[in-house]
Amino acid sequence: MKVALGWLSEWIPLPDSTDALVERLTLGGLEVEERIETGPDLEGIVVGHVVECGPHPNADRLSLCRVDAGGEEPAQVVCGAPNVAQGQKIAYAPVGTRLPDGKKLKKAKIRDVVSFGMICSERELGLSEEHEGILVLEGDPPVGAPVSEALAGADTVLDFELTPNRGDWASMLGMAREVRSHFGGEIRVPPTAPPEEGEPASAAIAVDIDDPEGCPAYVARVVRGVQVGPSPDWLQARLEAAGVRPINNVVDVTNLVMLEFGQPLHGFDLGTLRGARIRVRRAASGEKLVTLDGQSRALEPDDLVIADAERGIALAGVMGGAETEVSDATRDVLIEAAEFHPTRVRRTARRLGLHSESSYRFERGVDPEGVARAADRAARLMAELAGGRVAPGRVEARGEPLPHTAEVRLDPVRVDRLLGTDLDAMAVRELLHRADFTVHEEGGVLVAGVPSWRRDVTQEADLIEEVARIYGFDRIPETLPVAPVAPVEIPWRLTVAEAARDALVAQGLVECFTFPFAPPDDADRLGLTAGDPRRGTVRLQNPIVEEHSELRSTLVPSLLRTAAHNLARQADALRLFEVGPVFLAGGGEAGLPAEPLHVAGILTQGDRESGGLWAAHERIPLFFLVKGVAQRALFDLGYASWCRPEEGDPEPYQHPGASCRLGVGERVIGSVGELHPETAARFGLEAPCAVFEIDLSALQDAPRREIGFAGISRQPMARRDLAVVVDASCPAGEILEAIRGSAGSELVGLELFDRYEGKGVPEGKVSLAFRLAFQREDRALKEGEIAKRVDRVVKMLAHRFGGQLRN
Amino acid sequence: MSQVERLEAEAREAIDNAGTREELVQVRARFLGRKGSVAAILRGIGELPAAERGPVGAAANEAKQKIESWVAERRAALEASGRAADLAEHRLDVTLPGAAPPPGRLHPVTRVFRDVIAFFASMGFAVQDGPEVETDWNNFGALNFPDDHPARDIQDTFFVEGGTVLRTHTSPVQIRTMTGRTPPFRFIAPGRVYRHDSDATHTPMFHQIEGFMVDDRTTLGDLKGILHAFARHMFGPDTELRFRGHYFPFTEPSAEMDFSYRGGWMEWGGCGMIHPEVLRNCGIDPERHQGWAFGMGIDRTAMDRFGVPDLRLMFEGDVRLLEQI
Repeated sequence: MKVALGWLSEWIPLPDSTDALVERLTLGGLEVEERIETGPDLEGIVVGHVVECGPHPNADRLSLCRVDAGGEEPAQVVCGAPNVAQGQKIAYAPVGTRLPDGKKLKKAKIRDVVSFGMICSERELGLSEEHEGILVLEGDPPVGAPVSEALAGADTVLDFELTPNRGDWASMLGMAREVRSHFGGEIRVPPTAPPEEGEPASAAIAVDIDDPEGCPAYVARVVRGVQVGPSPDWLQARLEAAGVRPINNVVDVTNLVMLEFGQPLHGFDLGTLRGARIRVRRAASGEKLVTLDGQSRALEPDDLVIADAERGIALAGVMGGAETEVSDATRDVLIEAAEFHPTRVRRTARRLGLHSESSYRFERGVDPEGVARAADRAARLMAELAGGRVAPGRVEARGEPLPHTAEVRLDPVRVDRLLGTDLDAMAVRELLHRADFTVHEEGGVLVAGVPSWRRDVTQEADLIEEVARIYGFDRIPETLPVAPVAPVEIPWRLTVAEAARDALVAQGLVECFTFPFAPPDDADRLGLTAGDPRRGTVRLQNPIVEEHSELRSTLVPSLLRTAAHNLARQADALRLFEVGPVFLAGGGEAGLPAEPLHVAGILTQGDRESGGLWAAHERIPLFFLVKGVAQRALFDLGYASWCRPEEGDPEPYQHPGASCRLGVGERVIGSVGELHPETAARFGLEAPCAVFEIDLSALQDAPRREIGFAGISRQPMARRDLAVVVDASCPAGEILEAIRGSAGSELVGLELFDRYEGKGVPEGKVSLAFRLAFQREDRALKEGEIAKRVDRVVKMLAHRFGGQLRN
Repeated sequence: MSQVERLEAEAREAIDNAGTREELVQVRARFLGRKGSVAAILRGIGELPAAERGPVGAAANEAKQKIESWVAERRAALEASGRAADLAEHRLDVTLPGAAPPPGRLHPVTRVFRDVIAFFASMGFAVQDGPEVETDWNNFGALNFPDDHPARDIQDTFFVEGGTVLRTHTSPVQIRTMTGRTPPFRFIAPGRVYRHDSDATHTPMFHQIEGFMVDDRTTLGDLKGILHAFARHMFGPDTELRFRGHYFPFTEPSAEMDFSYRGGWMEWGGCGMIHPEVLRNCGIDPERHQGWAFGMGIDRTAMDRFGVPDLRLMFEGDVRLLEQI
């Protein structure tokens, strides 16, 4: 809400320093979002004190002054204004200042006397056309301060951010109350009682409330014979400063009074009303109303409608109807001031997307005791500004009053107990009093009378908040809690996420965070089968865009998109991962989705054979890189994993010949694989990629690998290398298993260190080289024993795999 | 010159002339080997007159020792010059780039979260988490947001089909954690939250940290103290903190905090004493227990720490950013 300080200062005396005002209000919860200086640029012009003022030696109509502007000594200034006098605080422009009209002040000799600068008039300051005399500053602004601060009331607009509990702040009256609670002073409420003449209002209109819950109070006033036309400049300026568009004098008055008292008003053209009757009722189903903006609105029974004898004429608290709008032809005006149910107004405004200054205030609640006053004030101003005659009396009707807690009790001891302050009952009382509560004591307990405009206050905690607010949070002493020492629990989910991150970063992967939103067709894009649980996605009701209308059930598409984003920006050889939950509809407690925590990674093929390293010459297929990364990560997390192609169907988005399932213990917990070329095309990925995804949540119950020291043998280790030629189709994993099974218990190490196809190896065959390490705990192995074991392995390889030793 | 003396001179010359270790081995064998010259002299002693046997034997043994030490000296010299030659030969272009593994990186938000968790763990706060799709009750109702109240507008909510929401803050974790727990306790809850909003300073997903403590005495002063300590940990030892009165449905009194930043104030988050209604909703008696809670965004801290100008950049996964920081 925008508040011009010049206007506010008519309601309540403001502190001299706008900074102090802004600071205090902000700390008290009325946050100043923006401070707008609307006046001319007065940079360099400062507050001066006329310490001496005497006649000019050579001119009758000039004065010779000495002006103290905070400098080392007062400056000599020649002044031609008749009203200059010793002791005044004035606007002093020193030599070198640029005035608002662009003129730069120089040292001047006026009738042989040097004048250092100028004492300014309002016109010279660009404030008005006033040039009869100099501007004498009111109050006691500090000497040397920028004059714009001393004039702040005239040209500063503060834009406040109001919290939703304080609808009462949305008015000059509310602002004045808040200023008073911090700085004291007396509020000057503008006069409201209108001059009345002619036939009583009740002769022109009757009011019925058919929906008492929706309308606690309705007050009508009638003003006859208005001349509709533009508002005076001052009124237009006030509205504009507050961000309200001026329309005509009648409408502008209703808006002005809303800004003054926080009570929204509506003016009807009385001549267009049928049947001299106002009815406040629920909308009929199927009812339509053309609102002021010319739109036809389909209404629902929950909407509160203002009707005349025949039809709806306004959406209560939200927007008036077009047919009864005040126009240039309007002669007689019906002023509506009412209290509408906050929730009802809110629902209608939200449904129709019609948020207005009026609905804003009704949603937050208006002061029930200010309704009639606002109607009076508007009638008075219409008489003043539009030449209307106010019909005697108000026409009022009442519905059910909204709940209001009249009194709230507060044990003053609770204040210190909660805030950590040291305030006695008297101090608490005084603070509440400043916040407009009446306070009396009953048996050591304070009883606070809650003002009619503070329906947000219903219990003790609300009063303690007021105490803290007015006292100032900054004055509450800082302490540290005294608490029992207890072990700090870290949830497993967080622990495993952090461990996974470390394991992947250690392998050179880069962590990214992406939004968990997904388009509805990702399951198709991945080619998931009809029964795949990941098709059970969670849908948003109000996505920002359709492409973000679901929550992801796998991390893979996000990573594919992130990879595509990077590749489109010339990135090469990506190594990315993400840790985050995926969402599976209905799988959690209380109808919530299941949110297993996943980790997924993607590697893309670099465009250089060497993978970027100047000394490397061979490229390892991506599949093995991603498999290595995933299995190493699992190992670091404490799990021995397996990678079996025969376990389950391959992921449909992975290459059928270069993918497999990852498992721990008995359970499949993820997959690794190169991306299926079709999937790659669907995600716009041109470079080859490989991905892995692991369900970290599934690891919680999985068997952990044994981690512990198994001793170091003091006996020598014997290493033997074997190169075996087998069919290329023969899985190396099985051969490794078979060697482990046949080499005997002294085998302590087994490594596949080379795989070779090509010259020297027959077509369709491959040479695999293994290094076997043998060792015993108790003694050295004899050459013969080693040879025997190697021989057993060689025979087994020949027998089971047709393996031929290669020389 | 005796035979032994001649032998010594010969050996001396041969040793000095040995240019490699292999030659030196041969020279040594020639003189000191089993069939070497010294051995031959010793074998011939028996044929000498008895009076000569003693002196010749002694001289031969002396010669043996001399030759042995000359060989050792020569060997050391040869090794030293060999090493020097080897060193001279092994020359790398040390300006070629080092072969480090590719640079792994944690996301800036992860790094800030770790920092935050470490700080609060040091103050005895346990950690909790909760689901990101939440019930209306946990996200709003239990936190004292009335139905159809403007307070709900502050948080532009993503609604999920079926009547749930994407949590708009980490405060539902407060509800989940407090429900069924007996004070005293203190927790933090880091996590992702969602708001229906998107521009340079707002993304539909962002990160918050929630902290809360409940016992029978902890005050707003304690809350200020904890937050000030936290601010100094995050932003430097001279950081000042300012508390502005504010409104949140779930705390009362409520305040927003700003920390001192480049001569001004930077908005940080919200805090307050947990509203008695919220305690009641979790089965905690507000007459016997009291507590406080705070929450703040983490992303802006991460942006500021790493100089990232636009929040959206944090979630694009662009390696040009992620690998830099």
